This record gives sequence, C-alpha cells and structure tokens, in this order.
Amino acid sequence: MCDHSGKLVAWLDGELGNDEMAELERHISACGKCRSQLESYQQVSARFDAYCDAVLSAKAHRRRLPRRVAVLTTATVAAIAATLVFVLLRARVPTVAPPLSVQVQTQAAPPAIVVEKVPAPVLSKTDHPPPPAAASTPRQTANWQPTERAIQISIPAESMFPPGAVPEGLNFLADLSIAADGSAEQIRLRPRLMEVERRQP
Amino acid sequence: MSGDSLPLALPLSRFATDACEVTDLYRELREPLLRYLVCLGLSRDEAQDVVQDAFLTLHRHLASGGSQENIRGWLFRVAHNQARNRQGSYHRRFGEPLDLEIDAQLDETTPERVVLEKERFRRLGEAISLLPESERECLLLRAGGLRYREISEVLGMATSTVGDTIERAIRKLAEKCNV
Repeated sequence: MCDHSGKLVAWLDGELGNDEMAELERHISACGKCRSQLESYQQVSARFDAYCDAVLSAKAHRRRLPRRVAVLTTATVAAIAATLVFVLLRARVPTVAPPLSVQVQTQAAPPAIVVEKVPAPVLSKTDHPPPPAAASTPRQTANWQPTERAIQISIPAESMFPPGAVPEGLNFLADLSIAADGSAEQIRLRPRLMEVERRQP
Repeated sequence: MSGDSLPLALPLSRFATDACEVTDLYRELREPLLRYLVCLGLSRDEAQDVVQDAFLTLHRHLASGGSQENIRGWLFRVAHNQARNRQGSYHRRFGEPLDLEIDAQLDETTPERVVLEKERFRRLGEAISLLPESERECLLLRAGGLRYREISEVLGMATSTVGDTIERAIRKLAEKCNV
C-alpha cells in the first residue's frame, strides 16, 4: 500500500491543507494505484449516499397509512371545528337510561302495524299512542360510543394568530381525549413545526 | 383576542425575530437530518419528531441568546443525542435488509438492472451492518454534508480521529463490495 493512500478520502472531502493537497495531487498524477483507489472510494461514497436515500424512501413507503391527521386547509379546519362543537355539545346532552330506551323501541313497532291493519284507527291510536318523535333522539345519543379515545388535530397557526405573528412552518397540534361517555375529557395544545411546502395554498 | 392570550404572545414575538433564520435552516437541513436519523435506525415518524424537537430546541437556544456558531453541527448533535435517548429505536441496525421495498425505488429501470442494484444494495447493507458504530455514524454524518470538524463535535471525538475513522470505513466498504 502506498504511503499516501491513507489521505485519499480526506482529499476527496477537501479536508487537507493547501500544502498537503498539492503534494497529494502530484502523487496521484504519478501513482496509478492511488488513482484506482480514489475511483473506488468515490464509487463507494456515491453508493453509500444512494443507500441512505433508499433507506429513507423505503421507510417513507412503510408509513403510507398516516397515523395522525395532518390537515391544513381552511375548509378542513372548519370541519374539525364543527366536530369539536359537536363533541362538546354532546357532553351537555342529558343521558337517558338504556332500559327506558328499550321500552320506547318495543312499544313503537306494534302501533304502527295496528294502525295500518285495523279499520278503527281512532280506538287503536288511543290504546297504543305512538311514541313522541323526540324520543328517538336521546335513545340514539345514549347508545352512541366513540370509536377513538384520542384524536390529534393539526391547526394552522394563521387560523389563530394574525399574519406574521408566528413564523412560517409553525403550527399547532391539539390532542383531544374523549371520555367513555363521549364527552371531551382533555384538550392539550402544543406547537409543531410542519413542512413548509404543505402550507402553500 | 382575549387577555388570557398575553403570555403566549411574548415568546411568539421573540420567535418571530428568529423566524427567517430558523425557517431557512429548516428548509436546508430537514432532509439531511431525517435521512441521518432514519439511517441510525429510527422510524420515519420517530425521525420526524426528533427533527421537529431539534428545531424547537434551536429556537429556544437562539431566543435565549445562545451561540450561532456552527448551527449545522449543533442541530445534528441535538438530533443525535435525542436519537440516542430513544435507545430501543436507535439500536435497530442501519444495515438491516431493505427487502422488497427497494423495488419501489427502482421501478423505472429494467428487471435486470433492478436485480443488479438489489444485489449491490444487499452487499453494501451487509458491509455497513458489520462496521463499528463509530465508523457508521461518521459515514452517515459525512453523507449529511458535515465537515470533519463538525462531525467531531457531534460525536465528541478528535478531528484527526474522524478522518482516520472515515478513511478506514470507506476502505472496508470498498473491499467488501469489490468496488
């Protein structure tokens, strides 16, 4: 092995001082083995770079299914706000005991059939009054269960602050915890740096 | 806005003064940082989190009047240390097989070329996985565009040692891959 071969990578990386660099360049022009090694090191460096890119791309493919919602358009933010309002309002709706809901449901079916088949509808209606229309709403409310216990919502900074107040690329992430009864349990707001390109309209 | 937003407004106004600098750095260094962290063994999501945390740390650093010298090396060091803190992820091997996912990177070439490239990547991946951790980290930081002096600051070793380590690692890879 040549005495200068230990400096070839440093020369490739431009890490040698001027004197050392000039000396090595003179040597390389005269030494075929060092030139061959230099070429080999360049190829390995390029392949190493390509391999790193491939690893990054491969892991990007692995996460095709997004684990969190990243939403930046105003329209979607409006939809999220509507959802939040819905969840918060739901927390205020008084819950109805499940047995009562079942009773309303079982009473509702027979009168509908009786009214159609019996020619004396007045009596039937009096005996079996149809359930009030409003009764179905609380029943559905009582049986509804949230499928997700935690929701993450990305909120663009410009929806909360005036232009220029927050640097480009900074957004906020709201962590919303939902209790077992469907009510909002906890909301935590934290800043997040997002990809700048996504913020283009 | 109501009065209770006042505490948030003060740090944000300070943030705005550093915004251009941090945003420029974010554009320039986000991808190299991501690549470095993913190659260390973190998942893409973990790497994304670490990069964001590193930039938030940078903001706090600049806002508190911290040194602006060698910010690139500083960011890589912060990210590197955060990756180390996620021990379970960090110790996943960089050289683990890419399996068939590599096809997605090569789908515009001929089948023969795909096979050839996969074989080359496989051999290189094996060779990388056999390198000592310090050599692998030096190569990754070098691939991220860091100078030897910056690498020495990230890894806490002498600059001359970085040069020797990189030289040794490249030579090993060249021998193992028959380049």
